[in-house]
Amino acid sequence: MSRVCILGVGSPSGDDQAGWLTVDALLDLGIRTGDGIVIEKLDRPGSALIPLLASTGWLILVDAMQSDGEVGRIQRFDQTDWPHYGHGLSSHGLGVIDALMLAGELGSLPPRLDLYGIEIGSVCPGEEAGHEIQAAAQRLAEMIVSSLKG
Amino acid sequence: MSEQKRTVAINVPVLARVEGEGALDLRIEEGNITELRLRIFEPPRFFEKFLEGHSYTEIPDMVARICGICPVAYQVTAAQALEKLFGVELSPWARTMRRVFYCGEWIQSHSLHIHLLAAPDFFGCSNAIELAKIAPDEVRRGLRIQGLGNELMDLFGARSVHPVGIRIGGFHAAPALSKINAVRDRLRAALPEAEALIRWAARISVPQDDQAFVSVAMRHPDVYAIDQGQIGVSDGSLIEVEAFDDHFAEYHEPFSTALFSTYHQQPYLVGPLARLNLNHAQLPEPVKALLAETGLVLPSRNLFHSLVARAVEILLALHEALRLLDAYRVPDSPYVAVTPRAGITSGCTEAPRGLLWHHYEMDDDGRVINARIVPPTSQNQGRIEEDLRQSLLNFGLDQPDAALRLHCEKVIRNYDPCISCATHFLRMRVERT
Repeated sequence: MSRVCILGVGSPSGDDQAGWLTVDALLDLGIRTGDGIVIEKLDRPGSALIPLLASTGWLILVDAMQSDGEVGRIQRFDQTDWPHYGHGLSSHGLGVIDALMLAGELGSLPPRLDLYGIEIGSVCPGEEAGHEIQAAAQRLAEMIVSSLKG
Repeated sequence: MSEQKRTVAINVPVLARVEGEGALDLRIEEGNITELRLRIFEPPRFFEKFLEGHSYTEIPDMVARICGICPVAYQVTAAQALEKLFGVELSPWARTMRRVFYCGEWIQSHSLHIHLLAAPDFFGCSNAIELAKIAPDEVRRGLRIQGLGNELMDLFGARSVHPVGIRIGGFHAAPALSKINAVRDRLRAALPEAEALIRWAARISVPQDDQAFVSVAMRHPDVYAIDQGQIGVSDGSLIEVEAFDDHFAEYHEPFSTALFSTYHQQPYLVGPLARLNLNHAQLPEPVKALLAETGLVLPSRNLFHSLVARAVEILLALHEALRLLDAYRVPDSPYVAVTPRAGITSGCTEAPRGLLWHHYEMDDDGRVINARIVPPTSQNQGRIEEDLRQSLLNFGLDQPDAALRLHCEKVIRNYDPCISCATHFLRMRVERT
């Protein structure tokens, strides 16, 4: 059965919680697992991301990203962008893009895929995410809710 | 016909995609290898020092953090050592489930290594994404098997990465029978897939690379050793876990922050091929029969058979998990009470990558006074260098630089080093004179 799968990827290290905070904000906005929706926080899933795509018609995935942009900037990635972000594969360092590219080769990508990155700054273990990240997670959650209603 | 000997210097400054940081220096002058060094320059992690002062109750969760791929190995080894010191007799349930838990780790780690790291090398692919283009069914099968291993780890550890299920004296909780029955069905369904994996792995064309080396692996009189036994050596020696230091020596090389190990002054191999070389007679009959069908002769002197050895151990682990879960019952308690005591103790198990040895000195309150952990990758470092040297000679030093580099990468990846995944060298500088 086709479902919407919303995944927030992160770790408990400062701004790297961006994906998790987006899931928290979505939960606060009333988005729950059930009725064709799965919403989950993941901690660097590696290739374990691929089985989660089974029976998924629409994947919404949020992860932290680092580039030269302003902290808190939200960017949506199209599949044409992916090759620029893949880093090859290893059992210890399989990133989200790598896993999605592998899923693509295996024909396991859902028909609709919204991949969002939130530009982050500090990633110190145990620290809270910065205010810009918390605000961005809230903004992104509202965008996702709109798209779900849309 | 004249033959011009060239001088080649291959410096690989960073081994990327590694759990740790390493590099390779290779220099060939006038057709001879004059320098070959596997440099591990990752700053020391001081894990043993971190453990000092911590209670025995914290140790399983702390050592699990050493490795994201084989945390169960670290947990079981630490628990084994401390339970021995404290005079804890595990319940038959807990002892059995420790082995099942460990089987899950072998299944996930081996499948990951075969499909994401090692196999692409033998199909001319630079990574698993490329491999998936030409062998999608095999990669899908590999991911399914890996997922099943993760599921077993999750069942007993509450999560597959850095699980938290083990405590000194047993487990924190016992899975419900309904969950065990569900996973047993999937384990059974995976048997033909694992058999097909062995047939596929055995058909992969690998370099014929005959080398003499010492194999070291745990041995147990009754079963294929995973979580219990003595230390076996291919020279016939059988060593008590406590006598590790009488036979094995760790030493420091200035170019590496990981210690090297020797067995009576020789490099040695630990890991799946060493285990299979020493313990193949103890494989379950169906696994033995399939192995015979592949034509693989054991003991093997070709390190490139490590890939098929991993496949064989996946099938073994599936059979073991099924056998051990056959009469599963939820115990009255998943653990027994523990009273700490002071003393010195050692533990040893077979991590997916090979022998893992722990040594602890504890105080009266069960706090760590000092700890020593000897992981498989550091034990294999000397063997990797020796292998590279011999394998390059067998391969031919006059091969083009790119081919030499790829061959070195293949050799290193073959060990699944955890400095490591010693894959995908980022940059290479070649000097010719």
